[in-house]
Amino acid sequence: MTNEELNQRVSAAREEVEARGETFYPGASRVHLAAYPPRERWNDWVELDSKSWPDRVEKRYTLVPTTCFNCESACGLLAYVDRETLQVRKFEGNPEHPGSRGRNCAKGPATINQITDPDRILYPLRRAGARGEGKWERVSWDEALDDIAARIRSCIQEDRHEQVMYHVGRPGEDGYTTRMLAAWGVDGHNSHTNVCSSGSRAGHHWWMGMDRPSPDHANAKVILLVSSHLETGHYFNPHAQRIIEGKENGAKLIVLDTRLSNTATHADHWLSPYPGSEPAIFLAVANWMIQSGRYDENFVRRWWNWQDYMEMVKGEPSASFERFLEVLGELYESYTFDFAAAESGLEVETLREVAEMISSAGTQLSAYNWRSAGSGNLGGWQVARTMTLLGALMGSLATEGGTFPNSWNKFTPKPPRLPHQHPTRWNDVLWPDEYPLALMEMSFLMPYLMEDQDAFVDVYFTRVYNPVWTNPDGFSWIEMLRNESRIGQHIAMTPTWNETAYFADYVLPMGHSSERHDLTSYEQYDGQWIGFRQPVLRAARERLGEQINDTRDVNPGEVWEENEFWIELTWRVDPDGSLGIRKFFESVKNPGQKMTVDEYYSWIFENSVPGLPDAAAAEGITPFEYMRRYGAFEVASKVGKVFEQPVADAELEDVRVDEAGRVFTRAPIPPSPKAPGGTKIDPDKEGRRRVGVRVDGEIVKGWPTPSGKLEFWSRTLHEWGWPELATPTYVKSHVHQQNLDSDQIPLITTFRVPVQIHTRSANAKWLDEIAHTNPLWIHPQDAARVGIEKTGDLVRVETEIGYFVLKAWITEGIRPGVAACSHHMGRWKPEGHEGQRIGMMTVAIDQDGSEWGLTRKKGGGAFESSDPDTLRVWWTDVGVHQNLTHPVHPDPISGMHCWHQAVRIKPAQPGDSFGDVSVDTSKSRAVYDKWLEMTRSASEHSPNGTRRPWWMLRPVRPERAAYDLPEPELSGA
Amino acid sequence: MPKAAPPAPVQAVRGLAVLAESPGEEHAAVACALGLDSVPLSAEYSDLFLFQLYPYASVYLGAEGMIGGTARDRIAGFWHAVGLRPPKEPDHLAALLGLYASLIERAESGESEAEELLSFQAARTLLLEHLCPWVFAWLDRMQELSSGFYASWALLLKRFLIEELSGEGSSRCADDAVDSGVVSLQHLRDVPSLPDPRSDGSESFIKGLLASISSGMIITRADLGRIARSLDLGLRAGERRYALEHLIAQDAEGTLRALVSEAHRQGNIHKHRIKWLGESSEHLARRCCSTAALLDELAQEDLK
Repeated sequence: MTNEELNQRVSAAREEVEARGETFYPGASRVHLAAYPPRERWNDWVELDSKSWPDRVEKRYTLVPTTCFNCESACGLLAYVDRETLQVRKFEGNPEHPGSRGRNCAKGPATINQITDPDRILYPLRRAGARGEGKWERVSWDEALDDIAARIRSCIQEDRHEQVMYHVGRPGEDGYTTRMLAAWGVDGHNSHTNVCSSGSRAGHHWWMGMDRPSPDHANAKVILLVSSHLETGHYFNPHAQRIIEGKENGAKLIVLDTRLSNTATHADHWLSPYPGSEPAIFLAVANWMIQSGRYDENFVRRWWNWQDYMEMVKGEPSASFERFLEVLGELYESYTFDFAAAESGLEVETLREVAEMISSAGTQLSAYNWRSAGSGNLGGWQVARTMTLLGALMGSLATEGGTFPNSWNKFTPKPPRLPHQHPTRWNDVLWPDEYPLALMEMSFLMPYLMEDQDAFVDVYFTRVYNPVWTNPDGFSWIEMLRNESRIGQHIAMTPTWNETAYFADYVLPMGHSSERHDLTSYEQYDGQWIGFRQPVLRAARERLGEQINDTRDVNPGEVWEENEFWIELTWRVDPDGSLGIRKFFESVKNPGQKMTVDEYYSWIFENSVPGLPDAAAAEGITPFEYMRRYGAFEVASKVGKVFEQPVADAELEDVRVDEAGRVFTRAPIPPSPKAPGGTKIDPDKEGRRRVGVRVDGEIVKGWPTPSGKLEFWSRTLHEWGWPELATPTYVKSHVHQQNLDSDQIPLITTFRVPVQIHTRSANAKWLDEIAHTNPLWIHPQDAARVGIEKTGDLVRVETEIGYFVLKAWITEGIRPGVAACSHHMGRWKPEGHEGQRIGMMTVAIDQDGSEWGLTRKKGGGAFESSDPDTLRVWWTDVGVHQNLTHPVHPDPISGMHCWHQAVRIKPAQPGDSFGDVSVDTSKSRAVYDKWLEMTRSASEHSPNGTRRPWWMLRPVRPERAAYDLPEPELSGA
Repeated sequence: MPKAAPPAPVQAVRGLAVLAESPGEEHAAVACALGLDSVPLSAEYSDLFLFQLYPYASVYLGAEGMIGGTARDRIAGFWHAVGLRPPKEPDHLAALLGLYASLIERAESGESEAEELLSFQAARTLLLEHLCPWVFAWLDRMQELSSGFYASWALLLKRFLIEELSGEGSSRCADDAVDSGVVSLQHLRDVPSLPDPRSDGSESFIKGLLASISSGMIITRADLGRIARSLDLGLRAGERRYALEHLIAQDAEGTLRALVSEAHRQGNIHKHRIKWLGESSEHLARRCCSTAALLDELAQEDLK
């Protein structure tokens, strides 16, 4: 047969197949290796057993999706459950998950290590000796529940609501726990956010009324990162794959990172600025754009609240837009490339090239800051604020290839039996007077605030949170946790031992990602999805016909999940319903019965997720079965410019438009499947609610800010005592060179190690083998200057309150004059305590008054366990715990702990050993007092007698009256 | 002036291309349309394409003997040169054949003679430059390793390509200059010679042996398994490099002699092809010859 004849044959066959409306050629995606089991075969999937190779032995699996619970990305996982043993054999990616699209980083598959960790906590434990002594006894869940519930009940009955506190690290879920706290009427939500992301959140929040960015990297022309998102970082895997997609499509990548991170190595422009100078760089770029007219004037005119600025700051209420542009030019003219070069240490020419590149993006600039410089510096929130200034100049907000606000790319469905009550009491420990504008709770100041306010917390939950290790000044945390006149009962809810759990009264074992229910939705591209975390063995056994009503029945030991635990606990707090709490945890179908997690999520999937019931019906299953089967659902994609969407006519009733163009209506809020949340904008004087803004004669939705516009100028900052910072500007960092002694340099501590995640992954042997230590990055010039000869030499790093001793890594991957040490690593357990053996050293802790020391007694290493791999642990260095030596640095506005440290580096001194830590907590207190002096309190600066601007975001928002400042006490009587 | 040409066999080459992808339900119809009498099986595909004969040009054209590197970059550059964005795996056999189909289709539908000429030249260049230097030897090995569907497919593809090169296909090309100078075989330029373990170390020697552009031969896992069985040696599980290293460690002389005969065998096939395939077969034949000579010398020294 000739080629021509062959061709005729194939052409004829193709025509015949396509005439039937079928596809002849398969899709073009079968070339690469990213093939996943087709979802119709998940129930009974056959694979060859790798361990039997080269014999062909078939293994049968049922594949059950769940959601990773290592970092916050919530990527989809697919658990391979062996149908014979009903054990999870491995985890791979879930191709049905819209955020992660089947891909995972190392931490996802390593979940198998965590669930088989021989040192995990399997039973509820109660302390048997003094708190922190390390003696434990096993108790039943019933004993623990009754004891804890009785305390909470007393607090509520005796109107001591503020003495119940829930302190969460990685939330890993949307809305469940805040709903519960609202039901309890407790303003006790305490997060880790102010040691994490409040800097970036504040910068976004002041502009948009939403506090997180959602970059559309895949469609960008220019990607601007102040983060290391190709290797770590928030939403690392979902973002990294889209950054690479963007690059494949020709996008340019600009990375600001003082370290040569893996991300920086992929950049078209890697900028290594002096720490804290990032806003100066962005302002210089903005100034160049403004002076050269390279921005979208029409967007600025339509969407900035420039009229407010002209009226309130310039006293020109009827100023024209042209006049504003003149003023804008003057406002930023001092931010030249020369100025930014002097601050950052970068070349003027480089800055100019970067400015050109950014301005070439048009509306396709995806810009992202999370943690990194935003969390390192005094005024770090200006990193995101000035970065967003660039997007706001170019109109690249909520555009294809631009940066969206989180709320438009996130879908938190409304749960059943939503409590409408709000706590009536303000919690001063979490929301103190001095920090009225803090984005989140002043959690890391708790040891000081408890002392200052002589406060007592009767029931203190730490959940997936480890403040002793994670927070600055951990020894002050130990002092607080040991003090029973401050903490009545401490309950550590954790899958694995951690440094904070040693100082608990109860340690309650909670499941890993494949052992629990949660519902998540995160902003990772221009779309909205929900992901369902589930106990995979429960789902697998239900598939095979069993009925499981309690997740403990499928988990190892007596490991539980929080959702069922909270339902059970709440019923014991309010057994007869007399406190008015139990009703929120009663079944909807069978009032008076306990709600089950199945019913809770079934209700959500049936009633609050548009499109899901239809998708499920198309397969002949219920929405709940759909989520059990596929684990994720995309609610919307290509959301686009919500702020430009017209307000529906039905929402316009007896409309009033004020002078600033804000539109108010009498029409009620239309029903929404989403859970309530977000900012709260006051109604007009006659009680109409704000529904949008009028722009060029058209009524559109606008932004959830007080002005309804993008807030270039913040009336709130202006009125609450910070007029000089009300527009995007530059605040010199606490590690600015003018604030350092000649022998001090900045230490960058905020970066992650690619395969690890804070304190959550130390129990993953595969990850530990890859990364287990955190040496000091130091440039050869600095090493020579301070007398460090070679990599591996011991060095002493002195902070304001003490020192730590670690190994040097001499590298040109860091800017000269700056040092760096990852905050990952350095996990420990006190001598005589149980704990992780993989990933933890054993230490002695000494205290003499306010002077504390931590000495490494034994490093990591091989040990015998149920897992033969633990005998193969070849490393002993598990890093050093530097955070103990960091004093608190609360930013007076955002409340963010400013992580960068001013340090002195010297060779180890006589007697120093690797891992040594020494701290004087009285010095910590002095540093706290010094930073406190920078604050401008609500009681002195509030313009309206409230503790905090009502409109700002706030978890478990108390009722309006609780916002009022207390009457000042009369003195001098 | 170009002579009257038959229609370009766009659908035939598309069909042959998709059969180099992992098989799904649609592949059976494509196979049937091509007159192949069986259907592709996933297990057979996995063994052949994932473990034995990686279907990536860069493995056979790059000095590293691995996916990626300069060879893949050159091929990606070719995609760019013809105005297309390279796919994720620009050097996968299916992608290259698909590109060939697109180019001959583009030529046929070209609006001007110049456009037609350019597209045919590009298709011809793709064939000579990025397929011929490896694909015939690769298809030989496919026929040897498969006893089922993929052997028939390999034979059909080989016949198809031969006709494209020499028969009616080449007549579609309007300009003889294509064969006589416009195309120069970049992948064969500056190919490093097979390292000598005595001077260059055993690591680079083994790497070179497994890079067919250097050694002239394609060594598969199956070959290593056969050598292990014939010499009664243990075959370590792992990549080819690791397995080969351990075969040599166990019995250097026996392993090297087995490889000598394999080099002669594959060299002879290359020699027979020189008369119609020219430079690329000549290069591979020469390399097989020098590889056999070096291996023979080493075997005599009983290199440990």
